[in-house]
Amino acid sequence: MTEAPAGETTARRSLNDNGDSTKTERSKLPLLAGYRLDAAAAPPRIGWREMLRLALRTWPFMRPMLRHLITLLVLGFWGVLAGWITGLWGMDLITNKVLVGEKLQPLQASVLFLGSEYVTTDPQRLGAGDAGKDANAGEEADASVDAGGSASSAPELTPQQRRTVRNRLLVWTVIGSVLATLAGFSIYYYSVWIWQCVNQNLRVAMVERAESLSLKHHDEARVGDAIFRVYQDSAMIVNLIQEGIVAPLVAAYGLLIALALVAAFDPWFAVFVLAVMVPIASLAVVSTRRIRLRARDNRQAGSSLTSRTQEVFTALKVIKANRAETRVFRRFDEDSHAALHAAYFLRLDMALVTLAVGTLGGLLLIGGEYLMVAWIIEERETFLGAAVAAFIGFVIWNYGAFEVARNRVSGLAEGARSLIGTWMRMQDLFIALRRAFHLLDLAPEVVDPADPTPVPTPIASVAWRGVRFAYGSETAGEGQGDVLKGVDLEAEAGAVTAIVGATGAGKSTLMALLLRLFDPDSGKVMINGEDLRAFALDDIRSNVAIALQKNVLFADSVAANIAFGAARASRAEIEAAAKIADADEFIREMPKGYDTELGERGAKLSSGQRQRLSIARAVVRNSPILVLDEPTAALDARTERRVLLNLAEWGRAAPPAQRSGEASGKAAKAASGERPAGRVIFLITHRLSTIKNADRIAFIEDGRIQEHGTHGDLMALPDGRYRAFVEAEAVAAEQPSARTATGQPRQ
Amino acid sequence: MTANGPAKEDVPGRSGARRRRSFAKSSWWQGLLGKGTFDDRVDVRPDITTREAVTLLGRSLKLITEAKGLFLCKFLLQLGMVVPGLYLPWMLRIVVDNAIRQEPFDTTEVRLPPFMEPVQFLAEGQTPMGIMLTITVMFVVMLLLFGSRMGGLRMDLLQGQDAATQAENQLSAGGSAGGGIWGLTELMVNVRLTQTLANRLRTRLFRRLSRMPMTALDDQRIGDSVYRVLYDAPMMPNLVYDLTFTSFFMLVSAVANLYVLQYSYGQVAPELVLMAWLSVPVAFACTFPFSGPLRRTSQNKRAAGAATTNTMEESMSQIAAVQSLGAGERERDRFAARSSQAFQRERYSLAVVLISAAVAFGALGGAGIYVTVLVTNRIIDGSMSVGDFATLLGIFAQIATPAGYFGAFWIKLQDVIAAVRRVFFFLDFPSEEDRVGGTRVATIRQGVTLEHVHFAYPSDPRGSDSLGKKALRDVNVHFGMGELIAIVGPTGSGKTTLAYLIPNLLTPTSGRVLIDGRDARELEIGSLRRHVTYVFQEHLLLSESIRENLLLANPEATQEQLAAALATAGCDDFVEALPHGLDTELGRSGDTLSVGQQQRLSIARGLVRDSSVLILDEPTAALDPQTENALVAALKAVAEKRLVIVIAHRLSTIKNADAIVFLEDGVVREFGSHDELMAKPSGAYREFVALQTA
Repeated sequence: MTEAPAGETTARRSLNDNGDSTKTERSKLPLLAGYRLDAAAAPPRIGWREMLRLALRTWPFMRPMLRHLITLLVLGFWGVLAGWITGLWGMDLITNKVLVGEKLQPLQASVLFLGSEYVTTDPQRLGAGDAGKDANAGEEADASVDAGGSASSAPELTPQQRRTVRNRLLVWTVIGSVLATLAGFSIYYYSVWIWQCVNQNLRVAMVERAESLSLKHHDEARVGDAIFRVYQDSAMIVNLIQEGIVAPLVAAYGLLIALALVAAFDPWFAVFVLAVMVPIASLAVVSTRRIRLRARDNRQAGSSLTSRTQEVFTALKVIKANRAETRVFRRFDEDSHAALHAAYFLRLDMALVTLAVGTLGGLLLIGGEYLMVAWIIEERETFLGAAVAAFIGFVIWNYGAFEVARNRVSGLAEGARSLIGTWMRMQDLFIALRRAFHLLDLAPEVVDPADPTPVPTPIASVAWRGVRFAYGSETAGEGQGDVLKGVDLEAEAGAVTAIVGATGAGKSTLMALLLRLFDPDSGKVMINGEDLRAFALDDIRSNVAIALQKNVLFADSVAANIAFGAARASRAEIEAAAKIADADEFIREMPKGYDTELGERGAKLSSGQRQRLSIARAVVRNSPILVLDEPTAALDARTERRVLLNLAEWGRAAPPAQRSGEASGKAAKAASGERPAGRVIFLITHRLSTIKNADRIAFIEDGRIQEHGTHGDLMALPDGRYRAFVEAEAVAAEQPSARTATGQPRQ
Repeated sequence: MTANGPAKEDVPGRSGARRRRSFAKSSWWQGLLGKGTFDDRVDVRPDITTREAVTLLGRSLKLITEAKGLFLCKFLLQLGMVVPGLYLPWMLRIVVDNAIRQEPFDTTEVRLPPFMEPVQFLAEGQTPMGIMLTITVMFVVMLLLFGSRMGGLRMDLLQGQDAATQAENQLSAGGSAGGGIWGLTELMVNVRLTQTLANRLRTRLFRRLSRMPMTALDDQRIGDSVYRVLYDAPMMPNLVYDLTFTSFFMLVSAVANLYVLQYSYGQVAPELVLMAWLSVPVAFACTFPFSGPLRRTSQNKRAAGAATTNTMEESMSQIAAVQSLGAGERERDRFAARSSQAFQRERYSLAVVLISAAVAFGALGGAGIYVTVLVTNRIIDGSMSVGDFATLLGIFAQIATPAGYFGAFWIKLQDVIAAVRRVFFFLDFPSEEDRVGGTRVATIRQGVTLEHVHFAYPSDPRGSDSLGKKALRDVNVHFGMGELIAIVGPTGSGKTTLAYLIPNLLTPTSGRVLIDGRDARELEIGSLRRHVTYVFQEHLLLSESIRENLLLANPEATQEQLAAALATAGCDDFVEALPHGLDTELGRSGDTLSVGQQQRLSIARGLVRDSSVLILDEPTAALDPQTENALVAALKAVAEKRLVIVIAHRLSTIKNADAIVFLEDGVVREFGSHDELMAKPSGAYREFVALQTA
C-alpha cells in the first residue's frame, strides 16, 4: 500500500518543487459550512402536469415489457396472498393446535395427511355455531364423547398427536420455505431483468438520439454529461412504478384506514390528528422547492465531475508533458468536493424534513397517549364503541382500546413519514427523468425529409450554390461569424478537386456540409442539381466516404477500424483498401496483422500510420464521392506519392457503384468496371506537390471561392491569391540561408 | 474484437489467446461465470484469490486512519444511541402499569432495573395523571434529542439496477438508528465519514491514473478509468463499515441477548445459544465455496459496465467521425450490445448472491427448526408455558440475527472486494509518481545526449519482461543548446519515440539519455519536464477557456507572454475574432476551432512555457505555408537561447534546421546539416529531398 510513502512523497516534493503544492487534497469535508442555498436560484419547475408528462413519456420504453410487467404484478400479488394465507395457517397450527392442543380443522388435517382422529367435531369451530353458544358447544362435545366414545371426539390432542402435528407441520414448513425462497428469488430476479430491459430500452434510445444530434449540439455539450444522463438519469425509470405509484398508494391507503379507525374511537382524536397533518403537509409543500434545487444541483455536480474526469483522462498526454498533473488534480478535487457537497446537503435537507415530520408525528403519538390515558382514567366512552359492543369491548376507553389506537396513530405517523420520504425521492426521480428526456427531446437540426428521394445514380456532379454557414448561435449579428459567405463551387465526376486555403478558411466546413453534418444557413448543396435536403441522411453518407483530418481510430482491431464505415466489407475488400492506402505492408508486420488490437484512440500507431488507416477506411467504402481532408499531412514524401498515385488510379479506373443504404459491397463489385463515370474526389491539402496534380483547384478565402481552375490557369493570374500562396510555399523552401539555397533547385 | 455480438469475451480471437492460456486450469464453472476481461488491456485479471481478498480488507481498514476524528465521532454517536433504547421499553411499561392500570410502584413482580431509578424517583408518589405527565415530558425530551419512537434516519436516494447507478448512494451512505438532534448529528457525521473515505481513495486513484507511464496510457481505456474512479472507489467505505461498526454492534447485541437469555431461560439457554452460534460456521462453510464465483461475477459485472462506458465515451467524443462515416447505427448497436451484456453480468452476479443467500438462510433455518422442536417439546411436556414460545423464539431471532450476519459475513464482503480490487490494481500499478527524489534540474546549459539508446515497447501493457517491437536501435546523438534540430524519416521510423525519451516520457530499454551529462533517470521528473516542453501530434485541448489551456503549461505566464506566444504561433488573429477572445470557452476537446487552429493553439501552449528545450512533433502538418513560414522563423529566433527539436516532413521546415537526424527503422542513418547530408551522393536524406521536391 502506498499511503505512507505517498504522504512522504507529497511532503518531500513540496520542499523542492513549487509547482506541486503540498495541499493536493483538501482534507476537510465540513458538516455545516456551505449549507446556504443561493436564494435567487430558480427551482426547477416540475408541476403535476410536468410529472404526468414525464411519467407518460416513459411508456414507449415500458411498453415492450408490458407482458412481463403484468406477469410480475400478478405473480407478486399471488405471492403476497399465498404468503399471507400460509402464514396465518401456520400461526394457527403452531399456536392453537400444537401449543394449546386444540383439534385440527378438516382441511388442515388433510393437508397434513392426518386421520379423522385429529379433526375437530366441534360444530362451532367448524363454522356452524355462533358467539353466544360457547357453553352449549362444550356440552355437545361432551355428549359426543359419551355417545361415540371414539378417539376423534376427544376435545384435545394428545401430546403424541401434538408432536405428530408439529413434525408434519415442520416438514411442510421446510418444503414451503424452499419453494417460497425459490419462487421469491426467481420473482426478484425476474423483476430485475424486466427493469434492466426497460432501462436498456431508454439508454439505447438516448444514445441513438445523442448520435444523431448535429455537431452544433455536440460542440457545446460535454461527453461526461451525456454519460451521466444515459447512465444515472435514465436509471431512475426503474423506480417509477414502485415509488411513483405503488408506494404512495399503499401509504395513502394506510393513512386513510388509520384515520377512519381513530375517528371511530373519538372524532376529536381525529381532529387532533388532522391538526398535526396540516403542518406536515405544509412542510412538504414548502420544502419541495428546496429539495428540487438540491436534487438538481446534485445531478449537475455529478455530471460535471463525470465530464471533468473524462476530459482529464482524454488529455493525459498533454497534462503529463506539461507536468500539469497537480493543476488538473486540483480541478478534479474541486469538482469532486462540489459533488460531495451537493450529495451531502441534499441528504441533509431531506433528513431535516424527515426529522421535522417525524418529530411532529412523534408529538402526535406522545400527545395522543397522554390524551388517551386521561380518557381511560376518567372512563370516557368511545365514539362508536357502543355500536360494536357485540364484537369488541371498547365501549369505554381502556387498555385494549389504548393499544389499538396507539398502534394506529403510530402507523399514521410512520405513514406520513414514509410518504414524505417518497415525495422527496420522487422529486429527484423526476429531475432525473427530465434530464434524461431532455436529451431525447432535443430535435436534431439535420433531419431526414418526410419523403426522401434516393440519391441519383450515377453521380455526375456535386455543387454548392450561394452557401452561407456559421457555427454556433453565439456569434450574434447577421453574417457576423459566418465561416462561409456565399460559396459557389461545382465538381464533376472523374475529376480531382483540390480545396486550398489558409487554416480556418472553411475547407473542412465545406465538406461537412456535403455530408450533411450541418445544413447551410442559406444556399444549397446539390448532387446532380438536386438539393441534399431531399435525400435521406443515411443515403447521402453512404455515398460519401471521408478520410478525416483528425485520424480517429477506435480501440478495436485494425480490420474493424478499416471497416468502421462499411460493416459488411469482406476481409479481401479491407485488404485491398489497405493496399491502396499503402497500409498493407505495415499492418502485416504487426504482431497479429489485421487482427491486432489498437490502443485507446489508436495511439500505438505513428500518426502517419493512422493517417493511412484513415484513408483505407474511406477507400473501403467504395463510394462515388471521396473526400480526403489533409490526407497526407503526416506522411513522408515517398509514402505520400505512393498513396496519391494509388488513389488517383483507383478513383478514375474503378468507377463506383451506386450504394443506397442496403446495397452492399457485393453490388459494388458486381457493377464495377461497367460504368465509365468515375468518382467525385475532393482533396484538402496544403502540400503543393499534392495540389499540383489535381484536375481542378478551388482557392477559398474569406468564406468564398476566390479562384477556381487548374494549376496552370491559376498560376497565370498575375495577382492571383493562389499564386501568392504557392509562392509562399516556394519561398519557405528556397529562401532560408544561402547555405541551403545553392545546391537544390526546386523542380 | 468483432464489430458486434453480445458475448464478446467468448470470442477468443487471436488477441486473447495468450491471456486465455493462463486460464487453462480454470474449471468449467469458472467458464460459465465468465472468462471475461471485456475491454481491459491493462487489468486483465479475472480472479481474486482468497488471500488477495484478505489483503484487500486489511488495506481498506488502514484507510480509517485518514479520517480518525470522524470515525471516532461516528462510533461514539452510534454507541450513545443505545442508551435511549434501554430506557424506552421500561418507560412504556410505567405508562401501562402505573398510569393506565394505576398500580403503585414496586408492586409488580419485576423490579425496575437500577438505571431507571431516577425516573422512578420523579414519578413515584404522584397521581396517575401526574405520572403520565412526567413520562410524557420525558418522552418529548427524548423525541427531540434522540428521535425515540420515530424510527431511524437514513437518506438514500433511488437507484438503478446496475453497479454504476448504485454508486451514488454508496458514496454518501450513512444514517442513524435514531433521530432527533443526536440522530441528525450521527447522520451528518456518518455521511461525511463515508464521503471522506471514498473521496480519499478516489482522489488517490485519480492521481495514480493521471501519472500512468506512457506505455500503459495507450492501453488504458478512458471509460474504464472513469468507471473505476467514479463507480468502483465509492464501494470501499461499505467494506470498512462491515468490518468495524456493524460487526462491533452486532457482537454487542449478541452478548446482550445472551445475557437476557441466560438470566430468564437458563434451562434451555445453552442449547439455544449453541444452535444459534453453530449456524455461524455452518453458514460460513456453506457459503464459502461461493465466494470465488461471487468475486469473479462481481468483477465481471464491473468490467462489463466499464466496457459499456468505453463504448459510449468513444462514440460521444468521436461523434464527428461517427457521423461522417455514417456509423451511427453501428455505434448504437455496439452500445446496445455492451449495455445489455453489462446488465446480464449484473444478473449473473445477482444470481450468485441469491443462491448463496439461500444457502446461508438454509443453515439458519435448520437451527430455527431445531429450536422450535426443542421449545414445543417442553411446552407439550408442560415444563414451559404457551407464552414462552413467542418470547423464546423472539429472543432466538435476536441471537440469530448477529449469528446470521457473521455466518454470511465473508460472502457479503466479496462483491465489494471485487470493486475495491479494481481500485487497488491501479494504485499498485507502476506510476511515475513512484519515482520520487532525484536531482532537480535548475537549467539546461549543455544539451541532450543519447548514448547507445535502445527502445522497445513492451508487448504486454503490464510491463512484463516480454518486449515487443524494437522502436530504436543504438541511437547516439548530441543536441546542443542554441540549435534547431529536425528529426526526419519515413512514417513509423521511431521519430516520436526518440523525442519522447528526452522529457522522460519513455525510459530507454538500454543505453542512457543524458541531460547536461546527467542520466535522465536520476533527475527529478517534475523539474526535468519543466525545462522540456513537448508539443504533441494530436492537439489536445481541454474544454476550458483558451487562457486556461495556455496556463496549463505555465500557470505563472503573464498576459504579455500569452500574447507573444499566440502571435508567434499565428493564433492572434483568430483568437481576437472569437466572441470572448482569450476567455472563449472551447467546446468538447476543442471542436469549435478548426483543426489547424487547434494545432496552432497547441503550439502556442508549448511556447508559453518558455522552457530550455522545446520539442514539436509535426507542428506544421495542418498549417498553411504562410503560417508555417512565420512559425519556423519564430522558432529559429527562439532557438538561439534554447534547443528546439522539430519532427517534420516538410522540406521548408527541415531546411532551416542546424542539424538533421535522419531515422529509418529505428536507426540513425544520417546526422548532419542539410548541406552536409545533401553532399553525400547516394544519401538517404538526399533521396528523401529529391522525392519531396519532385
